[in-house]
Amino acid sequence: MEKNGKGFSMPKSSLKSTPSKDDSSQKSKEGRKVQFNNGGSPEERFDYSKSNGKSSSSADKGGRGSTANGKASKSKEKEPLELRLNQELLKNAKCLMDCEAAEIIQGIQDQMTLLSQDATIKLPVSFHKGLQYSQANARYTNTHSVRRVLDTLKKHGVVEGEISVIANACPESTEEVFALVPSLKSKKSILQEPLEVALMVIKPLRKVDSTSV
Amino acid sequence: MFFHIVLERNMQLHPRYFGRNLRDNLVSKLMKDVEGTCSGKHGFVVAITGIENVGKGLIRDGTGFVTFPVKYQCVVFRPFKGEILEAVVTMVNKMGFFAEAGPVQIFVSNHLISDDMEFQSGDMPNYTTFDGSIKIQKDSEVRLKIIGTRVDATEIFCIGTIKDDFLGVINDPTA
Repeated sequence: MEKNGKGFSMPKSSLKSTPSKDDSSQKSKEGRKVQFNNGGSPEERFDYSKSNGKSSSSADKGGRGSTANGKASKSKEKEPLELRLNQELLKNAKCLMDCEAAEIIQGIQDQMTLLSQDATIKLPVSFHKGLQYSQANARYTNTHSVRRVLDTLKKHGVVEGEISVIANACPESTEEVFALVPSLKSKKSILQEPLEVALMVIKPLRKVDSTSV
Repeated sequence: MFFHIVLERNMQLHPRYFGRNLRDNLVSKLMKDVEGTCSGKHGFVVAITGIENVGKGLIRDGTGFVTFPVKYQCVVFRPFKGEILEAVVTMVNKMGFFAEAGPVQIFVSNHLISDDMEFQSGDMPNYTTFDGSIKIQKDSEVRLKIIGTRVDATEIFCIGTIKDDFLGVINDPTA
């Protein structure tokens, strides 16, 4: 770690930090775990969280931790969706499917055209990008039905974030779901049947997309 | 992904805005200050959907400004590691390609692109399979997985991969 005369030290896990070969023994139990900075301070860090200790082979990978920059995906571990680990962070938040978000944001845009008396209120770029993205990915004709159907998976232990990922991905089969959401693999035996039923029910609710390859 | 969340913020208002339209002025200022910003915890604030509560104002000593604690609901967009997103490619180079999903930029390194795809330079640089059947170029839609995120003051930047099962090109603009 570099330190100048005033004792300032660079953030330990910034993207451009020096390889942590000297730290690997300390970090071997945790891998290169860096948390999202809750306070939004300038020391934002690159998040290579190694599943907060759930990884049993992280000790093996400690020595390779220094080469993890840009190659974290080469780990063969089935890392759970980070959303599951950050439930406390967002316990007051409601996960939205892209189609639900599209409806809400479109509603706000419609209101803004009515309330545009104040010329200084301009919608930011991220609003338009968010609207465009959510509308492009709004794949269902009836969002409430999709929400109702997928919420039935909650009683089998599927969290809201995973439900949103499933809805947004529009999977064709349960294999696809388990491949895209590895955190559900541990419950494959319990989830296989309810997931098949849910996918069968929501399939007719998809919008027909003539441009897909 | 998108979240609907309640946030709280202390808004400072100049006395010139006091009066009948105090609340409207407060809400306008909140929208100007908050919409479009990005934080490490909540991601991008895409839009404010409503005001839950405006607390009692507190006059700051030495100035005439008043601080109001405001609770508001908003739609935020925050990518998570492990999340599957569909993004639109914005730039392709030999190091990989950049894609955009909503307000978020994602970079996919060539190391995280399938081994059977090769970079082709030219007017329209792209990654193409050996048999030419699949191409990734500007405006292609790809499904990718986020494997890392970084937040700075105004934006979120992610690293993604398309090397896993069920990831890759969804829509080729030239098809």
